[in-house]
This record gives sequence, C-alpha cells and structure tokens, in this order.
Amino acid sequence: MSQIIIKDVAKRYANGFNALKGVSAEIPAGSFTVILGPSGAGKSTLLRTINGLETPTSGSVQIGQQTVTHTNLREVRSQVGMVFQHFNLVDRLSVMANVLTGRLSHRSWLGSLFYLFQRGDMDIAHEALIRVGLTDKAWNRADRLSGGQQQRVGIARALAQQPRVILADEPVASLDPVTSEEIMGLLREICTRDGITVVVNLHQVELAKRFADRVIGLNDGFVVYDGPASGLDRATLSRIYNRNGDQIDEQLETMLAYA
Amino acid sequence: MSAIETVRPPLPKKPFNPTPVWLTAWLALLWLIVVDLELSFETLLYGVDDIFEYFSRYGSPNFADLSRYVELLIQTLATALWGSALAFVVAVVLAPFAARNLTPNATVYRIARETLNFMRAMPDLLLALIFVAALGLGPLPGALALGIHTAGFLGKFFSESLERVDAGIYEAVSATGASRLQVVMYAGWPSILREALGYTLYIFDRNVRMASVLGLVGAGGIGLALHDTLRMFNYDQSAALIIVILITILVIDYLSTWIRGKLN
Repeated sequence: MSQIIIKDVAKRYANGFNALKGVSAEIPAGSFTVILGPSGAGKSTLLRTINGLETPTSGSVQIGQQTVTHTNLREVRSQVGMVFQHFNLVDRLSVMANVLTGRLSHRSWLGSLFYLFQRGDMDIAHEALIRVGLTDKAWNRADRLSGGQQQRVGIARALAQQPRVILADEPVASLDPVTSEEIMGLLREICTRDGITVVVNLHQVELAKRFADRVIGLNDGFVVYDGPASGLDRATLSRIYNRNGDQIDEQLETMLAYA
Repeated sequence: MSAIETVRPPLPKKPFNPTPVWLTAWLALLWLIVVDLELSFETLLYGVDDIFEYFSRYGSPNFADLSRYVELLIQTLATALWGSALAFVVAVVLAPFAARNLTPNATVYRIARETLNFMRAMPDLLLALIFVAALGLGPLPGALALGIHTAGFLGKFFSESLERVDAGIYEAVSATGASRLQVVMYAGWPSILREALGYTLYIFDRNVRMASVLGLVGAGGIGLALHDTLRMFNYDQSAALIIVILITILVIDYLSTWIRGKLN
C-alpha cells in the first residue's frame, strides 16, 4: 500500500520561480526513500508539500487515505514528523520540553496554556529519548548540546509524535561525516524497526546508495530518476546533477566518479 | 603588467551625499523655531541669579515627616508595580496577534497593532487625569493610567521580539500538528522570555519615575504630597520629598539595570 501519493504536483513561488513542474511519485508504507538533486532542483519544496508547509500550485498530495488540504493540515501533520537541517529546536527549552512538543497535537489548548502534559506523554517522550540515546541530557537546555545531539533531539521530537511518516530535510547537511553516519543509521533503524515511512533529502550520493531502498532524482523541478538505490550509475547521476541541459560537465563527471 | 592597467574599468559615478542638505535644513528649522517661539537666551543669562536664589530655598530639607513619606513612597511603588503588571498581562495577550508571523489574519493584525498604537499614543498623565475624574483621587487611577499607556509599549516590544524569532522554530513546532496557540506558547514565549523580562523591568523602572509625578494630578502616592508642599511654599519639606524620590528612582534604576544585565 502506498503511504504517500504525490500527483502532478507543481509549485510556483510568489516571485515567479517554478520549483516543481509536475512531479508524481508513490512512496510505499515502511520504505526508506532518498530524494537527490542539485540545489534548487525542488527537493525541499517537494518534501514540504507533503506535510503542507508549502501548498502546491496544482496537483495533490495524499497521505494514507487523506488528501492534504487546508482544513486537515493539523491532523495530517500530527501523523508526519519532520526533521530539519538546522534542527529548529526551541533553544531556551529543555531537551525534554522540545521532545514533548511532539505531543502537542494531542493536548488541549488549556493544558498548553499552562505547559501541562499528561503522564502518558512524558512516557512517550522518555521512550523517544531512549531511542536516540539522550536520556541523560533530558533536562539540559537544547542549545547547550552539540549539533549531532541536537539533531537527535529533533528526531526524538518526531518520534514522540508516533508518526506514520518522517520527513527529513537535509538532516545531515550541517553535521560532520561521522555524526552524519550515526544520524542516517538512526533514521534507517527507525524505518526498519517501527515501520515508519522515511523520506530524506540528501546531498550525499554515497549515503543515499547505502541507506535508501529507493531514490527519487529531481532536476529543475522534474523527476529524472525513480528507482532502487542500486540503479544509481554514472549516467543516471549525471542526469540528476546536470545543470545545463545536454551539455555534460567534465567537473561533474570527476566529482561523480568518487561518489 | 601595463596591459592590465589599461583595461582597469573606471569607478562608477559617486552617489550624491545628502547629509549637508539635511543638516542645513534641520538647522534652519531650529532657527525658525527660536524666532517663532520668541525663545530668548538673554533672559536665561540674566535670570541665572534668580534661579540660584530660588534653588537656595531648598537648602535645608526637613525629614520630620519621613515615616509618612516612606508610606507614600510604598504607595507609589505599589502603583507602579500594579501598572506594570496590568501592562504585562495586556501585552502578553495582544502581542501574538500584533506579530506578523503569528497573527491569524491581516484584519486581526491591524486591529491589534492599532490598539497598541492607541494605548501608546495616550499620554499617561492625560489618562490619569481622565481616570481621576472618573474614579476619584487615589492610586487606582494612577495604576490604570500607567497600565494602559505602557501596555502599548510592552505589546509593541513583545510583538517585535516574536517577529524576530527564527521562522524555522515556529515551522518545526507547527509541523508537529500544533495549534497557533501552542506555537505561541512553545516556540514564541520561551524564545523571547529573557528579552520580555528585560523589557518589563525597564517598563517598571519607568513607571516608578512616572508614578512619582502622577500624584501631581491627584493619582495618589508621593507626588500628591510633593504637590501639596509645593503649593504651600513649604520648601523644606519639598526638598526632603524630592530627595526621597530621587534616591528611590536611583535605587530602582540601578537594581533594574543589574537584573537586566544578569538576564542577558
């Protein structure tokens, strides 16, 4: 069964930039999908249309049985966790409080006004912290943690939502190679063990080859590759990363040879 | 290489520097005001002796009534504290609506902004006069006047701080399916807490200064006593009151600066 169905999605920004020019894809439940493409290809835009952070100009996105619309945004988002390149934690709050924000969609407005959570939410957040290995940092302020630890908190926040889908927008772009490895491993483990559908935007072809079940290659707002990670040969990669139409860039060839 | 020098492109035309024009215009305006208001600096010069004579009357402050002054001072501080608390509550409620990135829609934003502008535009002395007329003499009209006027300031400060918070943080919290109120509570306020406390302390500091003056229009506190003694040409007691007020303001000012320093 497909968890996410993207149908002819186009996105034109207010400044006239066409980020997506008709993208369709079906992402099966419990799979690990990596979206590759050069900067400006529309990777972020595509990911952000899935949980309604961007509204497509045309086309539609369906999660489970629901089509994402303005009226069911909160409901859809409660089932979709998101992990960001710059972590986007609330710096002044504790690690625990940041993870607990993942439970907000289940809390009443009155409780939120007084920063109250229920016992069950605390347990879920605790469990999420155990999963990312940060239990001892629970009461530290989020901005006191290292980049890798902050990204783990970001993942714990997503886990606390008990989501069906986790979207990760370049989750390792601000991290060193070793930490990147750990974070990708963690996302892969969450996908395999919990059956959560994971969709990750990446710049690292090598990580994509090792972690992804499936790769979607975007270039200039179009899908130029959609298939298994094993299909990423040099011809495919130069199609994904090509900048000037048919002209093959020598530098690009060299770079990809090492990928 | 000379070949490089020959192709060196010329600098683009230097942009026009408007500073001298503005400076001249401002000086002309200031001079026009002197003429129009018939400000006479000669009077000031000839009046220096008179000014010194007048101030000399305050030379022997009389602290006989000190216990009453302290009581009035506490009333003044209480007025300032209540005014600031009122301002804080009003500002906390209005600020998210007046922040462009948190407001539900443009109309609500406009209304909240204009409400804050209006509160800020009403001078607290004028508000105090109105409330004294409506509610009678005493500290309550003073606290209300201070509260309304400074709520305008705090609300503006808070909303601007909320607008400066990284958009990604709001996005991350709303991406969990949180409501607008929850985004304000979990991403907005925690991010600006220190700043907001700093502003509130500053407003309290300012309200203490203002509350000492509000007594002049009948809004209670130590200002009322000063008003009475000045009216009766009771210079010794006036001097004592002024000293008490000055010391209080200095202490509060010092304390609030110190606490705000600790916050940052």
